Parts: sequence; C-alpha cells; structure tokens
Amino acid sequence: MKNIKKGKIILTIVIGIACLVLATVMFMQFKIVNQADINELEVMREEELRTELANWKANYQEAELQYEQKAQTLEEYNKREASDSETAELVEKELTEVNLLLGKTDVEGPGIVITLKENEDAEAAITADNLNMIVNSLKEAGAEAISINGERIVNMSDIVLISNSIIRVNQQRVFAPYIIKAIGNQTYLESALLGNGGEADKLIKIGHDVNIEKYNKVEISSYNKELTTKYIE
Amino acid sequence: MVLIAIIIGCLLGAIIGMNAPTISYTYSSYLAIAIVAALDSVFGGIASVINRKFDIKIFVSGFFGNAILAILLTILGEKLNVDIYLAAIVVFVWRMFMNLGTIRRYYVEKWTSKVKQMREQKNNEKQNTEENEV
Repeated sequence: MKNIKKGKIILTIVIGIACLVLATVMFMQFKIVNQADINELEVMREEELRTELANWKANYQEAELQYEQKAQTLEEYNKREASDSETAELVEKELTEVNLLLGKTDVEGPGIVITLKENEDAEAAITADNLNMIVNSLKEAGAEAISINGERIVNMSDIVLISNSIIRVNQQRVFAPYIIKAIGNQTYLESALLGNGGEADKLIKIGHDVNIEKYNKVEISSYNKELTTKYIE
Repeated sequence: MVLIAIIIGCLLGAIIGMNAPTISYTYSSYLAIAIVAALDSVFGGIASVINRKFDIKIFVSGFFGNAILAILLTILGEKLNVDIYLAAIVVFVWRMFMNLGTIRRYYVEKWTSKVKQMREQKNNEKQNTEENEV
C-alpha cells in the first residue's frame, strides 16, 4: 500500500515536471513566433537569407549591366560628339579653302601689279583679247588670284569686248588704265608677261606703257557678285 | 491526482513561458522540434498507460531524450546541409497520430462496451419482469 502510494507520488511529480517543461517551452516558442517580424533580417532563416541574397545579387548584376550599357551609350555619344566637332572643323576648313579658291574672300600675298596705259598713237588699242591673254599667261604662271581694275577673276569671269574699246569684265565696264593684280610667284608671273613673245612684251612693242611692279603684299578684293547657279543640278 | 499535476504543471509552465526572456529566433527551429518530440512522448505515454505498459523511466528518458536527440539531429542536418528536421517532424507526427489512434480506439471501445452492457442490463431487467409477471 505504501509502495504504491510512493510510486504514484513520484509519477505525479514527474508528469507535473514534464508538463511544466513542455508548457514552458511551448509558450516561449509562441512568444518568439508572435514577436518575430518575418521581414526582419535578423529573424530570417538561413534559406530565406540565401534566397534574398541571390535576389539582391541578381538585382545588382542587372543594375550593373544597365550601368555598363548606359556608360557605353554615353561613351558612344561622346565619341560621336567629338567626331561631329571634328567633321565640323574639317568642313569649315574646307569651306574657307573653297571660298579662297572661288574668290569669295579678300586675299593678300606676294605678287605683281601690272599697269597698262593706253597710248593714243599706238599701232592698236588694248583690247579684251590682250587682257585675256595676260590673264591666261598669269594663270599659266601659277597665279592664285587675279583682278582687273578691282574685278576679281573667278572661274566664270568674262573679259569681252562689247563694241569700240568698251571692255567688260564680270559684266562691268573697265576703263584704261588697266591695273591687273596677281598673287603668285613674282618671278614666274613677271617673266611670263615680259619674256619673249609675252603679252606685255607685245604691248610694249606696239607702243603702250606697261609697268610691272613686284609687291610683297598684294591685296585683291573678293568677287563682288553672288555665285549662283540656276541650271546646274 | 495525476490530472491535477498535469493541470498545475501546464499552468505554471504557461506563466513561466510567458515571463521568460525571449530567445533568438535562430534557435526557434530547435525549440519547435523539441516541442514536437516532447508532445510525441506525451501521447506515447498516454497510449502506454492505456495499454498498461507504462513505465516512468521509459517515459522520462523518452521525453527528454527524444527532444535532445531531435535538436541534435537538426543541428547535424544544418551542418550537413540536409533538412533532417523534416524527417524528425514526419516521424514524430506520424507516431503522434498512431498513439492518438490507439487512445481513440480504446475510449471508443470502452464507450461501446458500456452501451452494450446497459442494453443487456435493460434486457435482463425486462426478462426478469416478464418472468415475474408470468
């Protein structure tokens, strides 16, 4: 009887302790689960953290990729801009060069100035042919810019005799004395005119006054009309 | 007496658990598996009482041993990168259902036998009265 009672007391105590431990642990767990914020970083399980980390890594990689692409496009733009300014410079340079060659700008440089004075008692008057020949000779001698009485000779310039001693250059009448300016190698230009059979030589021989002077700085004004095209396509 | 002990233990445990300092969430998985193991032991104990095979030593060793073993297995699983705690949970819950089934069957059988007895008693009484009348 006593033995049974003792056993029962021990049983009761043991079961009580077991229940106590179980309930304690359970309520602790309830508390933890209740308090834990699932989205808090410290609270996440390793797996969740791993997934999150992978997600962030992917995001980071994507962002980096985008950044790289953007940087690349930016670089391309920069390059294009640089090349644009380069081409603009080039085009401008070309334009000035072309303008220089076309005669649209005032130019200066070493050259000669020829003054033709008509003599009344010469064998023949100075004609447009003489001027043409002179201009041609100058061109052949390497003249880079020519003007007659301020009329710039350009690619479409004309030197024509209209009627009795009326000479038109660039559709503008020019009068004697004719002052022809040319920029180029002074020696070549002079010898082309004064040499044997040269146009100046001929004019001197028939009695006109031809004066050729070398200058280190000859100024030639620009073509004063507009270079327009109407039929060229 | 045992019932009183259970109730007092549960109540005291609840109060202590409510007032106990919170542990880090990292260890909550170990705690959870320990709880499942302990619950399994409790149901096992009840089942063994019904089967009249209850032994206090086996119960206590199972109660604490299973919990500790489950925690150790979980730690080992984490170290091996294998979710061993899943297997432990499956086994414990399966055993819990088995034990619950045993308990349920015992009480259902008890109840049905009781009902049968009552019916037989009634029938006996009826027969007795009939015999008396006759």
